[in-house]
Amino acid sequence: MLTYVGRRVLYAIPVVLVASFLLFWLVRTAYDPCVKLRNTREGATAVRRCQENLGLDQPIPVQYGKWLGNALQGDLGTSSRTNEQVADMLPPAMWNTVQLIFFGSVLSITLALFLGVFSAVRQYSVSDYTFTALAFIGIAMPPFFFGLLAQQFLAVGPKDWFHLNQPIFYIVGLHGPGQSGFNLDYLRHLVLPVLTLTVQSIASWSRFQRTSMLDVMSSDYIRTARAKGVPRRSVIWRHGARNALIPFVTVVALDTGALFGGLIITETIFSIPGMGRLFYDSLNTGDANVLVAWMIISAFFIILFNLIADLLYGLLDPRVRLT
Amino acid sequence: MIGQRRSLIAFVAVAAMALGACGSSGGSKSGAGGTSSTTGRPTPTSGNGTLVIGAEQEMDCADWVASCAGSSWGVWEMMEHTMPRVFEYQQAANGDWENVPSIMMAEAPTVSTVNGKQTITYKINPNAVWSDNEPITSEDFKYTWDQIANGKDIYDRTGYDKIESVDTPDPKTAVVTFKEEYGGWPSLFGGGLYGIMPSHLLQGKSRSKMMANGYSFSGGPWIAKWHRGVDVTLTPNPNWYGEKPKLSKVIFRFIPDTAAEFQAFKSGEVLAIYPQPQLDAVDALKSGIEGADQQINADTGNAEALWMNNAKFPFKSVAVRQAFAYSIDRAAIVKRLFGGIGVTQPQQSLNPPIQSAFADTSAFEKYTLNLNMVNQLMTGDGWTKNGSGIWAKNGKTAAITLNTTTENKRRELTEQIVQQQAKDAGFDVKIKNQTPADLFGKTLPAGNYQLGLYAQVVTSLEPSLCSIACSQNIPSKANDNSGQNWQRINVSGLDPLLETVQNSSNRPEQISASKQADLLMGQNMVSLPIDPLPNISLWSKRISGVKGDNPIFAMFWNLPEWSLNG
Repeated sequence: MLTYVGRRVLYAIPVVLVASFLLFWLVRTAYDPCVKLRNTREGATAVRRCQENLGLDQPIPVQYGKWLGNALQGDLGTSSRTNEQVADMLPPAMWNTVQLIFFGSVLSITLALFLGVFSAVRQYSVSDYTFTALAFIGIAMPPFFFGLLAQQFLAVGPKDWFHLNQPIFYIVGLHGPGQSGFNLDYLRHLVLPVLTLTVQSIASWSRFQRTSMLDVMSSDYIRTARAKGVPRRSVIWRHGARNALIPFVTVVALDTGALFGGLIITETIFSIPGMGRLFYDSLNTGDANVLVAWMIISAFFIILFNLIADLLYGLLDPRVRLT
Repeated sequence: MIGQRRSLIAFVAVAAMALGACGSSGGSKSGAGGTSSTTGRPTPTSGNGTLVIGAEQEMDCADWVASCAGSSWGVWEMMEHTMPRVFEYQQAANGDWENVPSIMMAEAPTVSTVNGKQTITYKINPNAVWSDNEPITSEDFKYTWDQIANGKDIYDRTGYDKIESVDTPDPKTAVVTFKEEYGGWPSLFGGGLYGIMPSHLLQGKSRSKMMANGYSFSGGPWIAKWHRGVDVTLTPNPNWYGEKPKLSKVIFRFIPDTAAEFQAFKSGEVLAIYPQPQLDAVDALKSGIEGADQQINADTGNAEALWMNNAKFPFKSVAVRQAFAYSIDRAAIVKRLFGGIGVTQPQQSLNPPIQSAFADTSAFEKYTLNLNMVNQLMTGDGWTKNGSGIWAKNGKTAAITLNTTTENKRRELTEQIVQQQAKDAGFDVKIKNQTPADLFGKTLPAGNYQLGLYAQVVTSLEPSLCSIACSQNIPSKANDNSGQNWQRINVSGLDPLLETVQNSSNRPEQISASKQADLLMGQNMVSLPIDPLPNISLWSKRISGVKGDNPIFAMFWNLPEWSLNG
């Protein structure tokens, strides 16, 4: 298995290098971080001075080469937007995003799994139709719209209706001013963004799980298990759900890995300075150093979660062997 | 049994959150409305307290003179509260805004001529100290000038590059000598963009490293701590030599989404906001917000206009520019955009409202919707209408591309109204929007446009129209393509007037020249002012001491006087 993991990591290196160069090249071509200075009274002079400072007057491959050389020595460069070290900007942004992903994924996986299995086992029942309808609404609901609805009906509304001093759930950030750590304040900040993040995941993942479960439940070995008198709960969860997990795990792993790039909409409407906000702000200002570092980290997590999905196959289905 | 236990846990969790929301009395006061001590948030009382303000933008860096700065929100969140400056902006009895010496100054700066050169003498208040109790000295003036005039990666050197020397005859006197007469001197040393920097802390060190990510020194009433991505927290400067702030803490929380900002205000999570005058903000104000006070200030430093490229077809012709102006119902546009919040009068000068002392508002008043004038001017210029009702001349139709910034709903609506009104008058307007970087960084400077919709925003009370309307500032090799006269305005007799406005130190002379320039620009219809982009201040009734908007320093200019009611 170690050989397999090592090979996958080695394959990923050239992909990341090519992708990072393409991104660097595209950003440098499309955006000039110094162009905002054209609006000052010094105009083009200020732009030129800034370009020289940032080394933008050199060919793009040379700029990339310098960046890569420094990056291999642990120096990811300086942000042209904030003058901050890129290496200092990524960890806090990643930490904020990881918190959302962790709670969002735990909630989504749990609910999607349960709802998918429940709908499949009670196919064509009223509850199946209800969950199906809700799933379609959830899939169709854009996060920005759901987020604003959640703010109105779970934060602003209850405060007015019940004449509270403060909303039950907060809208801004992951902590109140001066707060930190895992406490009630944190939970009250976490509820709405996590809910916004999970609605589409729960809806789509539960549909996957339902379909997969239906396939499995019509298999011969399930019929055999039932005929042999295996208890219903055991048939559903041990023999059915476990085998139905393989496609579910793939989708969850791929989706979760992609989330590490950031949740641009959720992070924006709930004012959470995570990877999505960092990407958005950097893209708007042509901050190539940050964008390339962001891309490498996002790619790392996508590769990692793909790998986790592959490894989980072996765990879920002993017939699968990784070599 | 397990189900019951789970239900109980869920109930307890929700109840705890609801109880937290109910809050309790006692303790210190919070702008977030106050919660119970379970959350650790301060709770509302009278007296000192914590106020939370919603901020739409976060500054990119706090090294105010560097190219990474330049954000208005940076000024409002941090700079104006921590960096000492020569002048404050205050409104005189006649409504005009004027420079008033700040508490840092012992007296108003004096202007004199020494050896034929303009010299300004700044006398510093003997009590003026930094937050570490070190005095603010003339060396700080010298250091500030040196950094801006000679430093690398500077945002804008304008004015500082005209200084020949800064002499320090004694620690509390700075004498600034200019290479040539410079009327804009009040905008220097914190009069405009930048404040005074502490030489005793920064001299010989990297200013950028010391300031870019925030700094702990202050020469103002507050000390700021910047938590990137989250907030700027202000606490009173213990060595502040002026009136002490009434609040123990002010927190500017970054809320980049306007809709979320309003929701946070309605929910009481923040107690004051200063939103951009976008359509959703106007709609929200129209429908009213319970428990809030508001001020809509049309007396701003902004002038939103339809900027015409005077060197490009068809606006090369004065008659076409005038005809186009007569085809636009500016009053209808302003009423549609801001009528709901009481702003209905179009802007009548390219000088923004805070520089109204320099404006002759009769210059553009005559340009109201008048299709007869359109016909008269266009036919007089040799145009005739084609089968589609569009003006044409020598086989070319009056097709105009209108550029503005993307993702701005207010400007998009303005464009649609202009497009329709222009069509009714025989002009074919097409819309092409661009990112601000492309529009202001490439398209406009290069002159690759016909009509642009955007605002000129000033950061000081000193008139600066020469930079955008003097012919020598048309981007060219002569000015290293740095000129900002993107409209390519080149009107006979205009340059000397605007140069007088820019360079003269004689106020009446400046005002007279500026008014003549306004009339000349109106006669030649160089561009069409639309509206002043009103500033919107919104604050909870729980806050006392808010005096309203200051067009340069926003509603936060008198923050030390703010306090919270129970």
